[in-house]
Amino acid sequence: MAYRADDDYDYLFKVVLIGDSGVGKSNLLSRFTRNEFSLESKSTIGVEFATRSIHVDDKVVKAQIWDTAGQERYRAITSAYYRGAVGALLVYDVTRHVTFENVERWLKELRDHTDTNIVIMLVGNKADLRHLRAVSTEDAKAFAEKENTFFMETSALESMNVENAFTEVLTQIHRVVSRKALEVGDDSTTLPKGQTINVGSKDDVSAVKKAGCCSA
Amino acid sequence: MRQLVIYETSASELDIIRDISRTFPSHVFFQQRHGPGQRSLYNVLKAYSVYDRDVGYVQGMGFLAGLLLLYMSEEDAFWLLVALLKGAVHAPMEGLYLVGLPLVQQYLFQFEQLVKEHLPKLGQHFSQEMINPSMYASQWFITIFSYSFPFPLALRIWDVFLYEGFQIVFQVGLALLKLCHDELVKLPFEKLIHALRNFPEDAMDPDTLLPLAFSIKVSKRLEELKQEYEEKNKGSLTQSVSNNKQLKHLHSLKSKQLLSKSP
Repeated sequence: MAYRADDDYDYLFKVVLIGDSGVGKSNLLSRFTRNEFSLESKSTIGVEFATRSIHVDDKVVKAQIWDTAGQERYRAITSAYYRGAVGALLVYDVTRHVTFENVERWLKELRDHTDTNIVIMLVGNKADLRHLRAVSTEDAKAFAEKENTFFMETSALESMNVENAFTEVLTQIHRVVSRKALEVGDDSTTLPKGQTINVGSKDDVSAVKKAGCCSA
Repeated sequence: MRQLVIYETSASELDIIRDISRTFPSHVFFQQRHGPGQRSLYNVLKAYSVYDRDVGYVQGMGFLAGLLLLYMSEEDAFWLLVALLKGAVHAPMEGLYLVGLPLVQQYLFQFEQLVKEHLPKLGQHFSQEMINPSMYASQWFITIFSYSFPFPLALRIWDVFLYEGFQIVFQVGLALLKLCHDELVKLPFEKLIHALRNFPEDAMDPDTLLPLAFSIKVSKRLEELKQEYEEKNKGSLTQSVSNNKQLKHLHSLKSKQLLSKSP
């Protein structure tokens, strides 16, 4: 083969970043994957994509993260990217209450389009703006408990909890996968090393695959 | 236009305000917070969102308006935006921003087919790697290359776009892929996505890219593919805009049928 995936990993997980426009999804992604934050970032048009590998227990887990445009009208394009996702960070802005109110709709959207086992983390971003806070930690926590999602407050600017939020999601996915593997012995939503999967048709944008893995 | 800005209210006002500083954030004209550039941008977008409430404000429109504002007054930029979206000279473009983004979906379909026809080897590689044009080309269509391409190139494309219409976007897209073809066909999924969003500088040289783009003939096929697309989506997709739930139901029925039919 002309190429091989040069990184080595045990699991490949597809994760989506969703939530209202302007809550900081793209900066969370750039903080996690490149340790960068930009005050001068452009609004996301369509979808963006980045990856990072981390260690979970004794395994290397690679996250393929899709960052989606937040404006409602873009769901016509972005919802196709939910399919096949095994994890999601549902982001709101702790300084804008309306972005928290909309979490319920995002959750519904997510659950309509994804597997029931998807690991969801509710993320209250911009926690550094203490004097502007409009959503209390308690309210968000209570909501997350009710909806059975994980919850964390982050600041992409101050790099607070960003690493933790992603790591927690990936760890929990890994846990689900290990459990499912024990129960069923085979699992179509995850990608054990060395296995190329095909999900649906070639138009299926959710499909994740590891190229060139079987030729060595 | 002034009246639209001052006397009418728009449901999109907050969305517009939030995006003002996120439109060409590093361009000197728009850099200053509440400066003249940002104020003009707000006025044009607000006026449009009132003028055409079906479209309102959609992310991406700011890049069109912003580019126009570098060369003309607010008033002219507003009316040129109206002319472009309503199709005063060329085909209307409002479908890029209407609910369901119908024209974006159509363009993505057309582009995917054109790639397969003009660059079969690359088209096949994309299929194999499960690369879909929505992963890299949505921005090209929604902002007519003004979102992430170097300004000198974007302007050259816009000259042609204003004069000849939207097909230059397809031609430039194909020309970019053609210039990087030999590199792209070697890349696996992740690197491919990265490469499709970060073209090398020499490929983005207008004097290389545009002549190549002009040499690619697409107008006849675009028309045929448009009809093919409409045919394909007759019934199901036209209803989807008004009734998303029904569409989902239809889809689930369809997939169930497919499942039960497959051996």
